[in-house]
Amino acid sequence: MKRRKLDIGALPGATAKQLDDRFQVATPLRRLLNKVFPDHWSFLLGEIALFSFIILLLTGTFLTLFYDPSMREIEYEGSYTALRGVEMSAAYASSLDLSFDVRGGLIMRQMHHWAALLFMASIVVHMARVFFTGAFRKPREANWAIGLILFLLGFLAGFTGYSLPDDGLSGTGLRIASAIMLSIPVVGSWISSSVFGGEFPGHLIIGRFYIAHVLLIPGALLGLISAHLALVFKQKHTQWPGPMRTNSNVVGERMFPRYALKQGGFFMLVFGVVALMAGLFQINPIWLFGPYRAAEVSSASQPDWYVMFMDGLVRLMPAWQIDIPIGDGYVIPPLFWPAVVGLGALTTGPIFYPFIEARRYKDKKSHHLLQRPRDVPERTGVGAMALTFFVVATISGGNDVIADKFHISLNAMTWIGRIGLLVLPPLAYYLAVRICLGLQQHDREVLAHGVETGIIKRLPNGRFVEVHQPLGPVDEHGHPVPLDYAGWVVPKKMNRLGALGPAVRGFFYPIEKPAEAPTSPGMPPVQPREERKELTSGGQQ
Amino acid sequence: MTDVKHHGAHGAQDGDRPAVDLSDPTLTRFEIVREGARRDDIEIVTYESQFPHPGSKQEKRIERAIALLFILAGALAMAFLAVYIFWEWEFELGWTLSDYFTPLLGITLGFSLMCVGFAILAWAKKLLPHEISIQDRHEAMSTDEDRQITGQTMVYTVDELGVQRRPLLKGAVALGLAPLGLVAAAPLVGGLIRNPHKNETPEMYSTGFNPAFNNGQLVRLTREDGTPIRPDDVSVGGQMTVFPGIPHGATNEWADSPTLLIHLRSTDAEAARQANAGDPNEHNQDAMWGNYIAYSKICTHAGCPASLYEQQTNRLLCPCHQSQFLITDNARPIFGPASRRLPQLPITVDDEGFFVASSDYREAIGPDFWERP
Amino acid sequence: MTFDTPAGRGGPLKRLFGRRRGAPSRARRRLGSAVRMVAALTLAGGVYTVFAPGAFAEDTRQLSAAAQEGKALFDNSCISCHGRDGRGVEGRGPNLIGVGAASVEFQVGTGRMPMARQEAQAEEKPPQFDDAQVQQLAQYVQELGGGPVVPEGELVKDPEADPEAMAHGGELFRINCTSCHSFGGAGGALSSGKYAPSLNDATPRQIYAAMLSGPQNMPVFGDNQLTPDEKRDLITYINLQLQEDKDPGGLFNLGRYGPITEGVAIFLVGIVILTFSALWIAGKS
Repeated sequence: MKRRKLDIGALPGATAKQLDDRFQVATPLRRLLNKVFPDHWSFLLGEIALFSFIILLLTGTFLTLFYDPSMREIEYEGSYTALRGVEMSAAYASSLDLSFDVRGGLIMRQMHHWAALLFMASIVVHMARVFFTGAFRKPREANWAIGLILFLLGFLAGFTGYSLPDDGLSGTGLRIASAIMLSIPVVGSWISSSVFGGEFPGHLIIGRFYIAHVLLIPGALLGLISAHLALVFKQKHTQWPGPMRTNSNVVGERMFPRYALKQGGFFMLVFGVVALMAGLFQINPIWLFGPYRAAEVSSASQPDWYVMFMDGLVRLMPAWQIDIPIGDGYVIPPLFWPAVVGLGALTTGPIFYPFIEARRYKDKKSHHLLQRPRDVPERTGVGAMALTFFVVATISGGNDVIADKFHISLNAMTWIGRIGLLVLPPLAYYLAVRICLGLQQHDREVLAHGVETGIIKRLPNGRFVEVHQPLGPVDEHGHPVPLDYAGWVVPKKMNRLGALGPAVRGFFYPIEKPAEAPTSPGMPPVQPREERKELTSGGQQ
Repeated sequence: MTDVKHHGAHGAQDGDRPAVDLSDPTLTRFEIVREGARRDDIEIVTYESQFPHPGSKQEKRIERAIALLFILAGALAMAFLAVYIFWEWEFELGWTLSDYFTPLLGITLGFSLMCVGFAILAWAKKLLPHEISIQDRHEAMSTDEDRQITGQTMVYTVDELGVQRRPLLKGAVALGLAPLGLVAAAPLVGGLIRNPHKNETPEMYSTGFNPAFNNGQLVRLTREDGTPIRPDDVSVGGQMTVFPGIPHGATNEWADSPTLLIHLRSTDAEAARQANAGDPNEHNQDAMWGNYIAYSKICTHAGCPASLYEQQTNRLLCPCHQSQFLITDNARPIFGPASRRLPQLPITVDDEGFFVASSDYREAIGPDFWERP
Repeated sequence: MTFDTPAGRGGPLKRLFGRRRGAPSRARRRLGSAVRMVAALTLAGGVYTVFAPGAFAEDTRQLSAAAQEGKALFDNSCISCHGRDGRGVEGRGPNLIGVGAASVEFQVGTGRMPMARQEAQAEEKPPQFDDAQVQQLAQYVQELGGGPVVPEGELVKDPEADPEAMAHGGELFRINCTSCHSFGGAGGALSSGKYAPSLNDATPRQIYAAMLSGPQNMPVFGDNQLTPDEKRDLITYINLQLQEDKDPGGLFNLGRYGPITEGVAIFLVGIVILTFSALWIAGKS
């Protein structure tokens, strides 16, 4: 019997055929391979968040192999000299072991922490991009809402993770969290007691935070991130207006090969930056903080940066306590307003913004073309206002360090924050709107009259006028025909029109020789000797 | 854009191009790909190599650069492994080589990954052909017919169950499922919800200085190691963190109990005594012993230890939210978000000359909450 | 294997990466006014000695030789605020009877005294006097009315010989010191412009003297509260762990100011690098 010869070359094809017989993947796979993505740098900001989430999953899984979520008191016997023999919780001891007695554990811990900071930072930057370009409009309101919930979940993931090492700093954070729960009217003491399983700190909280941090919150994050991406796939990405681009198409690159390759490369870059930061900058040196003891605290106790806005609001809140004189008397402590109401309103309120804006502009259409921030001054103003509020609150979250290092009175910093929080956002709104209107006006001017060339022409009657290079056709008098604004960058420099040499490439210094200015057929090259000749804007006529 | 070289047919009339016969053996692979794209409503407008002449000098140069990046990534990864395996890594005090273990790992790994990233990106950016494709969005709403059919189907499904027509079942389902839902909630409520006021000595209002926790005896003030404190242990202008002298009194079991014992100067002490005597709540009267005064260390705002004692201005500052309390005036909050004064622990000295708490705190300590009187 | 450098001298690498230096520009700014102040004081002291030689001669009889030198310095530089024989001047400077040599050693040794001007808190400056002069001044103030003295001898323990000293010192540090000076010893803000200074550049004797004397708003930690042995443990922790140990977690420790500098770093380094990368990736080549 003759054995049939195995044809290596036909093997992939045959396998593919067998697979398709069973799963019918050919058509959906082709659709996937053939998806067009628009290309713009600002569309990559959200990717940073996605990639840092993947890094968080990878490094976090490593950490769980060594971490012990137990509040059992043990005596530390590891290699860090200055804590040897100290009573501490098993959670803290295992975090120390991760840092000092697991080879490469410290770099993993630091990468995990830096990736968490990067995750939240890129969420905020990405959210700002989506807001200022109007990418949240119909039909993407749901994805905007998911994004905000992702921020809130990231906030919770970050806070639970910050608490797990059970060091002095994270214990202080837990204590504040317990106080925030206590401040809720009517049910506060019940909530705190239930969460901590008794009076603060109890013996359960680390275990509960652990399961929340490694299972519940990441599970929710994973689900919502998948939904977020699925919606981007289904609704296709927004794009900037431009040549060929309409509200009903997507102009860009197909997903394969180039776009996917770029994504892979960018992932490597994000991973590399996280690893590099983990090597260069020490983060959260828990060994200096000691085990958590209720009596111990450090000056400059702050949360991680994405919680700092809340902490800042808490610091700025005046001591306004509401007494309710019924029965024995009840109180609403001042902590309740910034920490519970403020946090809730700031994270959920923006969910409704797309609907508010649509209602205000009576806009029921679907939008797939982005808007430049200058074209919607009110929205840009609102965004600037929100961002200013966030920044002032965040800075106030570290106002003691700023006061100390820049030699400003701590009390003055608090007052600066209180006043700034009220005064600066409206100011930011006003400035942003004015700047937007100014930029709009300049765009319209260029479209109407052409690009300023810097060439001054003297008219026969002695007047001087600047010669403008029209962007489009001219009428019979040689005046430019006003153009409509297309919602996209208006060329404002001669080199963008090809009338001068292209801009020299290179960020800090030119990486190539500046190209010679091309000579336009209508305008003879300028001769050095012919200065006295009247300059003409030949191209116009 | 005029110098862009178009492959195949141009522009809008492309869409009307007849379908390609895929069985035609003369088709190039690109033509098949383009046909596939066309079926997904993608028009490949531009797909042109960045290099007019394959194998040009510039192309070779870029290839070499990318290859170099990959090799560099490999070398750095090897360096990572070498550091990981051979470098001193166990913690040692001082300036040791092991202090550079983590930085070296991060730097080698970071640069290695970045090299790979830049190599891939350069490959995509510099070597792959430029492409502009246009895909239709197809955000066509479902047709009215479709909406109608789906809507009717759903209503039909409900109708078929006949819940509307069968009120008995409706009631039975409600009666059957509601308890089952409660079963799901019961362990959460029963296991998780915990009454904070159930203990005999209510935990929200008592601390380790309550004699009930010390067999009715007055509780001594102790250091963190449990040793009791004599008055001359705290210098004038000094302060000491003290704990209840009961078993585990200095641990987190008694997280509400840490107290700050302060030895005031005599003039400040006099002011504090007068303020105590004039206390409107009458909690702080006779709470001091000599020039010594003791306040709860747990901030009434958010529970951090408010322990930054300024011995000249007699202020206590909380490092978390910068509330400031004036010690010589019943620890009244004078700045920041705290709205309630720090509770004062009444102290005295027992027969053996050690500090004791003459009773538990007379106010609830710690952060404010709703039912706190 | 360790770098073969004695404690206290970490070489240039250490200066680059590890320690936060004081603010020289500020110090330099203050220096000018301090010099003028000292000149004025010297002049005033000189005038005083000319016109009151009798009182001068009378006081010196019971003083030791070192204290006499100290008195001369005192009468030149300190008397305008702290008064004759250190009895203090209302509204200018406190009474120095009984503050002890430790207080002088801290205040003058760190350059806080003489003060350039009255302000919320005396600033650390380059010292006006050398070590010998500080000792003479300290001896003089000690002989005026007694008070705490920093003991002679090595204040930093050898962790090899006494392995528990570090851990014990760390515990004492966290319960007594971190609330103002912070976990990393970077210092922190107090109310209304006052602050707890960074411990990074403090010498063991200065730390010891500060605990004994409670300078500015720092509480006093007398020998009954923290025994001399416990003080040594504390100083051992501060010196070996916070000052001399290279942070194992990175080339830069971000000043050990806590999450605020980490937040700044993630934006200034992480987000900036990645945004520029995104610009490059999506840019038309």
